[in-house]
Amino acid sequence: MSTANHPLGVEPGDNTSDDPTGRAPLVLGGHDLGSVTDRVADLAERRRMPRAWWITLGVSAALMLVLFATVGYLVLTGVGVWGNNIPVAWGFPIINFVFWIGIGHAGTLISAILFLFHQRWRTSINRFAEAMTIFAVVCAGLFPAIHVGRPWLAYWLFPYPNQMGMWPQMRSPLLWDVFAVSTYGTVSLLFWYLGMIPDLATFRDRAKTRLGQFAYGLLSLGWLGSARHWLRFEKAYLLLAAIATPLVLSVHSVVSFDFAVAQLPGWHTTIFPPYFVAGAIFGGFAMVVTLAVPARQLFGLKELITLRHLENMNKFILATGLMVSYAYGIEFFIAWYSGSGFEQYAFINRALGPLGWAFWVMIVCNVVAPQFFWSHWIRTTPIAMFIVVMFVNVGMWFERFVIIVGSLSRDFLPSSWHIFVPTWVDLAMLAGSFGLFLFLFCLFCRYLPVVAISEVKAVMPQAEPHHHGHEKGGES
Amino acid sequence: MSPVEHHIHGRAYWQSLEQLAESDEVRQQVEREFPDLASEGASRRDFLKLMAASMTLAGLTLTGCRRWPEQRVVPYAARPEGRAPGAPERYATQMEVAGVAKPLLVTSYDGRPIKVEGNPEHPASGGAADAHAQASVLQLYDPDRSRRPVERDGERTRYQHWANFERFAGEHFAAHRETGGRGLAVLAEASASPSLLDMRRRFQKAYPEARWHTYEPLLDHNAIAGARRSFGRPVRRHWHLDKATVVAAFDVDLLGAHPNAARHARAWAARRRQADKGEMNRLYAVESNYTVTGAAADHRHVARHGSVAELLGALAAELGVVEAASSEPTPEWVKVLARDLRAHRGDALVAVGAAQPPQAHALADAVNDAIGAAGGPVTYTDEPLAGDPGLVELAGRMRAGEVDTLVILGGNPVYDAPADAGFGEALDKVGTTIHLGLYRDETARRCRWHLPRAHYMEAWGDARSWDGAAGIAQPLIQPLFDGRSPIELLALLTGDEKRDGEQIVRRSWQRWLPASDFEAAWRRVVHDGIAPETRLAPVSVEASPVSAPASDGNGEHFDLLFMPDPGVFDGRFANLGWLQETPNPMTTVTWDNPALLAKRDADALGVSTGEMVTIEHGGRSLDIPVYIMPGQAPGTIGLTVGYGRGEEAGRIAAGTGFDTYRLRTGDAPWAATGARLRKAGGSYALAMTQNHHLIDTHGYETRQERAAHLVHETTLDHYREDPHFVDRHEGGGHEKTISLPLWDDPESLDSGAGYKWGMAIDLNSCIGCNACVVACQAENNVPVVGKSEVLNSREMQWLRIDRYFRGDRDDESPAAVHQPVPCMHCENAPCEQVCPVAATVHDTEGLNVMIYNRCIGVRYCSNNCPYKVRRFNFMDYHSRSPGETHRPWLGIPDTEQRKEVIELKRMHLNPEVTVRMRGVMEKCTYCTQRINAAKFQAKEEHAKGERETERVRDGEVTPACAQACPTEAIVFGDLNDPESRVRKLHNNHRTYGLLDAHLDTKPRTKYLAKIRNPAGGGENGHGGDAHGEKGHA
Repeated sequence: MSTANHPLGVEPGDNTSDDPTGRAPLVLGGHDLGSVTDRVADLAERRRMPRAWWITLGVSAALMLVLFATVGYLVLTGVGVWGNNIPVAWGFPIINFVFWIGIGHAGTLISAILFLFHQRWRTSINRFAEAMTIFAVVCAGLFPAIHVGRPWLAYWLFPYPNQMGMWPQMRSPLLWDVFAVSTYGTVSLLFWYLGMIPDLATFRDRAKTRLGQFAYGLLSLGWLGSARHWLRFEKAYLLLAAIATPLVLSVHSVVSFDFAVAQLPGWHTTIFPPYFVAGAIFGGFAMVVTLAVPARQLFGLKELITLRHLENMNKFILATGLMVSYAYGIEFFIAWYSGSGFEQYAFINRALGPLGWAFWVMIVCNVVAPQFFWSHWIRTTPIAMFIVVMFVNVGMWFERFVIIVGSLSRDFLPSSWHIFVPTWVDLAMLAGSFGLFLFLFCLFCRYLPVVAISEVKAVMPQAEPHHHGHEKGGES
Repeated sequence: MSPVEHHIHGRAYWQSLEQLAESDEVRQQVEREFPDLASEGASRRDFLKLMAASMTLAGLTLTGCRRWPEQRVVPYAARPEGRAPGAPERYATQMEVAGVAKPLLVTSYDGRPIKVEGNPEHPASGGAADAHAQASVLQLYDPDRSRRPVERDGERTRYQHWANFERFAGEHFAAHRETGGRGLAVLAEASASPSLLDMRRRFQKAYPEARWHTYEPLLDHNAIAGARRSFGRPVRRHWHLDKATVVAAFDVDLLGAHPNAARHARAWAARRRQADKGEMNRLYAVESNYTVTGAAADHRHVARHGSVAELLGALAAELGVVEAASSEPTPEWVKVLARDLRAHRGDALVAVGAAQPPQAHALADAVNDAIGAAGGPVTYTDEPLAGDPGLVELAGRMRAGEVDTLVILGGNPVYDAPADAGFGEALDKVGTTIHLGLYRDETARRCRWHLPRAHYMEAWGDARSWDGAAGIAQPLIQPLFDGRSPIELLALLTGDEKRDGEQIVRRSWQRWLPASDFEAAWRRVVHDGIAPETRLAPVSVEASPVSAPASDGNGEHFDLLFMPDPGVFDGRFANLGWLQETPNPMTTVTWDNPALLAKRDADALGVSTGEMVTIEHGGRSLDIPVYIMPGQAPGTIGLTVGYGRGEEAGRIAAGTGFDTYRLRTGDAPWAATGARLRKAGGSYALAMTQNHHLIDTHGYETRQERAAHLVHETTLDHYREDPHFVDRHEGGGHEKTISLPLWDDPESLDSGAGYKWGMAIDLNSCIGCNACVVACQAENNVPVVGKSEVLNSREMQWLRIDRYFRGDRDDESPAAVHQPVPCMHCENAPCEQVCPVAATVHDTEGLNVMIYNRCIGVRYCSNNCPYKVRRFNFMDYHSRSPGETHRPWLGIPDTEQRKEVIELKRMHLNPEVTVRMRGVMEKCTYCTQRINAAKFQAKEEHAKGERETERVRDGEVTPACAQACPTEAIVFGDLNDPESRVRKLHNNHRTYGLLDAHLDTKPRTKYLAKIRNPAGGGENGHGGDAHGEKGHA
C-alpha cells in the first residue's frame, strides 16, 4: 500500500477518503520516526512561541484571575453573591460542574475505550484529549467545593475518621458524586501521567537547560526505554485503560443520579444515566475538536492530527448527537405517557415557559447543529467543523441549564415558583472557569508532549516489522 | 467643626461627671473627637459610627437592666424562691395602639423581653397576639430609636440631658402657670388610658386655659359620628361574632384591620368549625378592596367604594327600614342577604367600616335594630375615644398664632397629618415645641425639644381594650435609652409630686381598687393584665330613623380608599423589619405599598403590575407603582398608609414605599372621591413572595389547576352529602392510594409508646392574618433579609402563607384562599435522603430535624423538598442590615458571628434557639425548643410527684404559630395520644396531606379542607352570584 494508491480527486496529504482498498495513513507529511519527535519536542524547546499563544495565555490568565477573585469574594461574603434562590437552589455552579465533568469524558473515551478496541487513530489525539480531561476535571472539581454554603467544611463530604464520629450519609447521590468524580480525577491523572513517561524521558534527553533536564528528569521517573520498562509500561497502561473504561460510563451516570434520584419533575427520569453519558461524550468530543483545530494550525501539528482524526471525532459527535436528540424526544414522550400532571407540566414549561428560550437554544445547538456533520465537506473542513462544534459547546451548557434551572424554577407548589437570574458573579465565574481551563491548556502545550510521540510512532509504517524504510509517513 | 453655643451658664463647681461634660473645655474636646455630634448634617455612615459608639456606652449601662425598677432590686445574695437564672418568665402587659389596648403576655429571659404573646386570660386576646404586637419587641431593641433628648435651636441641634430639659421646663412652664396656660396646647395620640386621662385632668387643672387636642391618623371618626346620629351620643358598637349566624360586613375588615380583629376572628372561627357538625355561620362581605375578611367570606361582593353605602341603603330598604332611595332594581344578592338576615332574626348582624360615611353607620344601626341584633349580637358601650378637638383645628390655631407652646405626646403628625392641614408649616410658627417620641422622626426634627419616649415594655402605664376593660401595663426592662412615658412627662410638666410612672398609675387606680386591700388587688391586676371590673357597662340605646343615602353619582373619576397597612400600620412600625418583610396577606408584597387597581382599570390605562402611575387628587399628586389586585372594585384605588419615609424613619424604613398621606385630607381621611389617574411611565420593582398576574398562560392554567388540589374546598351542603369528598378528590376517584415504600415505613416502627408529633391546620378557620408568620420569626430568630433579597426569593420566614385565587384571569371577583405552609415533617422525607452529610435526619418522635452545625449548605434538601419550605442563609443575614448583605467580611464566619451582630440586635434573640450563620439550611422545627421545655417540665413535675407520668399532656406544647393564631386554626400535639386534639383532627373527614397522594411523603402536618357556606348552598357561592355587581354599576 502506498500513497500512490490514493483515489482520484484526492490530493496527496488528504487522508479523509474511505477507500476500502487500503487503510488511510495516520501521519502525513512524510515524517519518519525522528521527525515526529522533532516536531512534537519543538514546542517545548523553541524559544519563541507564536503570538496567538501569548494572547491566549494572557487572556486566559486574566480570566483565571477573575475566577480566583470572585471565589475570594464568594468565600468572604456568602453564596448569596450568585443568583441562586429558593426554589432554584442550584444555579450556575452546578451547571458549570456538570458541563465541565462532561467535557472530560471524551478524553477518557479516547484513551481507554478506543485503546482497548485498538482504534489506532487515537494515538495522535489521546494525549491532547487526556490533558483536556484533567483540566476539565480541575474546573469541574472547583465548583462543588465552592458551591456549598460553608466551603471551608466541604471536606466533610469525604469519609474520614473524625472526632464527631460522623460518616457521610451514603444514600445521597451527591456523595456518590464525590466518590465518582474523585475516582475519575485520580484515574485520569494517573493514566495521563503514565502514558506520558516515555515522552517525558524523550524531553529529558533532549533538554538543553538545567531546569528542563531536572524537571523532565524528575517527571520521567528514571525511564530508560529498556525492554523491561516497556513491558511493564504497556501492562500498566493496559490495566489502567481497563480501570478507566467503566469510569467513562459510571461518572456521568452518577452525576445524572444527582437529578434522577430526586423527585423533582424534570429530574426524576430513568433515562438520565445513558442520556448524560451520551451527552458527555458528545460535548467532550466537541471540546476536543474545538481545541484541536486551532492547536494543530498554531503548533504545526497538521500532519500528526490530520483531518482524518478530526473527521472521526466529528462522526462521534454526529452519532452521540443523535442519541442526545433521541433522549430529548423520549423525555417528552415519557412525560406524556406517565399521566402525571406534574411531569407533563415540567416539560410543557421546559419548551414554552419563561425559560423556553434556553430550551430552544439547546435544541438548535445539540439537535440541529450536529446534523451538518452528515456533510463530508463540513466534517473535513476545519473552519466549518469549528463553527458546528462551537454550537455544540454552547448547547451542552444550555442543556444543563435547562435541566437544572428550568426544572427547579417551577416545581410542585405554584406558590414557590420563582425565576432565576444570574448575577455578575455567576457570569464571571463561568468565564473564569474557561480562563482556568485554557490557561492550563496553554501551559500544557508549551511544556509537555502534546502528542503521544511513542504511540504515534507505533502506528507509523516505520514501526512495521516489514518496513524497509523506502516509504515515508505511510501507513500499512 | 461648627461652633456650639454655650447655653449653660458658667459654673464654678461641678457636682457630677455629667455636669462636667457640659463645660466648655470638655465640650470642645468632645467636638474635636466627634465633630459630627454637634451638627445636624451627619451622613448615614457617621450616624452608624455614632450609633456604634453609643452602643458601647449602652453596653455598659445595659448590664444593669433588670425587670424591676431600680428601687426594688436587691442583689441575689440568696436566690428568690421560684426564680431560676436562665428560665423564662412571663409577665402580662398592654400595648396601646390607636387608643385600643392589645393585652399581652411577654416572655423574658434574665430580664430581657424577647417574645410577645397574647394574654390568654384576656377575652380580647384569648392568647393571640397580632403581627404588630409580636413585632413590638423589635421596636424595643431598635437601634434607630431616639436615645437622648435633643434640643434644636434654629438649624443647630445638640444632644441634651433630661436634667437640662427639666430645668428648661421648670422655667418655661412656670410662666404658663401664671397665665393659666394660655397659648399652651397638647397634641396627644388617641388613648383610653385611665392614668393618662388622670394626668390630663391634672394638667388641665394646672393650666386651665390650655387646649388638649387629639390626633390619631387611623381613628374611626365616621363610626363615632354615625353613633351620634343614631343614638345622640358617641357609643362604641361591639359585634359578637360568636352570637351571629349571619354576619354582613359592609366595607369592614372585621377579621383583619379592625382594632378588635383578634376577638372577632376567634369568635368567627369557633362558629366556623361547627362545619363538621353540619352547621356553620355565614359571612357576607361587601367591599371594594380585597381584605382577609373578604377572602374568608362565603359571599363577597365587589362594589366601588362610593356605592357601598348605597347598597347598604338598598338592603335597609329591602328590610323595610328605610324608603328605597333609587328606582333601580335591587341586586339579587341584596335580596338574598335580606332574606337571610330576616330568617336569622336576633342571630345576625350588620357591620360597617371606618371608611364609610356616618350615614352608613347610622343605617347599619337601624338595620341591626330591625333584625333584632341590638342587645344580642350587637351591644353598645360608651365610646372612650370620642370628643377631643383634632389636629386640623389645632393647625388653624397655630397658624393664627394662638399657640406658643405645643407639647406633642407621641405620634408623628408632621408625617401623618392630613395633607391640607399644613401642620408642618404651622409648627414652625409655634415658639416652643416639645415632642415625645420613640424615634427622632419628622416631627421631632421640627420641634425645639425632642424627648425620647419609653417603649411600652419600659414604662408603667395602663390602657383599655376594645371591650373597655382596663389593664395595667407593667415594664419588663429598664428604659434602654433613658426614655419616659407620656404620663411621666405630664407629671414633669405639671410639677406633680409623683414623677414615677408606677406611682402615677397606682394613684389613678385608687379609684377602682379597694383602699383596704390595695396592694393585693394591685398585684392581681398587674399579674392578670386585666381588671374585669373596669369593663364598660353596656348601654341600651335605640337607633333613630335614618334615610337611605342617595347615589353618589358613580363619577367617572376614581375613589381613593386609605387603609392601615397590615405591616407598618400608620407608619409607626415602619422601622421593624419583621413587619416590612411580612407579605401583605392579599398581595404578598413586602417592603412596599403599591396602589391597588382593578384589572379593568389597569387595562384601560395600559399599565401592569409594577408600572408607575400618577394619582391626582385635590391639587396634589403622587407617583406610585400599581399592583393589579384581583377582586379590586373597578373605580376604586386602594392605598395603604405608613410608607414613603426618609432617613429620619430609621435605617429599615428609609426609602421604602410611597407616602400616600400626601393625598389624604382632613375632611376625607378614609376615602376620597374624584381622583384622577394617569400613567406616569417607568416601572418599579415590587418584592412579592408570590405573584398572580405576572405569569405565562400555561403557568397560570397549571397553577389554577393545582391550587384546586392543594387547597380542597367545597360547600357545606356538598360536605354534608359527601363527607369523604377530600379522599375522593385526592385519590382521583379512589378512596386510597397504594403506598409502595422502598424501605420500612417509619410509622410501622412506632410502638405507640413514644411521642408522635403532628400538626393540623384548618383551612376553614385560617384567615391569612400573618400573626403566625411573625410569631414564628420572633420565636425562632429568623432574620430579615431586605427587599433586594426578597426580590430574589430568599426570604427566610419558616412559615409562609400561600394565597391562591380561584377563577379565571379576568374574573373580577375571584375567591381567595390562604394556606399556611410550615415544614410538613414528612415521615418519608425527601430531604433526608439526599443530604450528603446527614445534617437533616428523623428523630424518634417523627420530627424532621435540622442540624445546623453539621450542615455544609449543599442545598440538595431544598431542591428535593416538594413544599419548598426550607430556607437557606445565602448571606449572613443576622450580622448584616438589609441592603448590606452583599458586603464581604474578614474573619472566621463559623466562630465570629457574635462579633458581627451588634449587641442591641442580639438582645431580642431567643436564647433557646440557635442563631444560624450563613451557609446553612434551616426550616420549621415544630418549635422543638418548646417541645423539650414541656418534656423537661413534665419530667420535673413527675419527679416531684406532681403528676402521674412523665408524659406531656395534650396542649402543653404549643408552637409559636399555633399560639399566635387568633382563630385556633393551627393545632399541634401528640398523634400517639388517642385523646389529643390533633389526633382527632387528623382523623377528620376533611383532613388531607399536601401532595401526599402524589408523592407519598406522609406529612405530619395535615390540612383540613375549607368549607364555605353560601346562601342556598350554591356550588360557587363565593363571588359566583356577584357578577351582577361589578363596581361601576
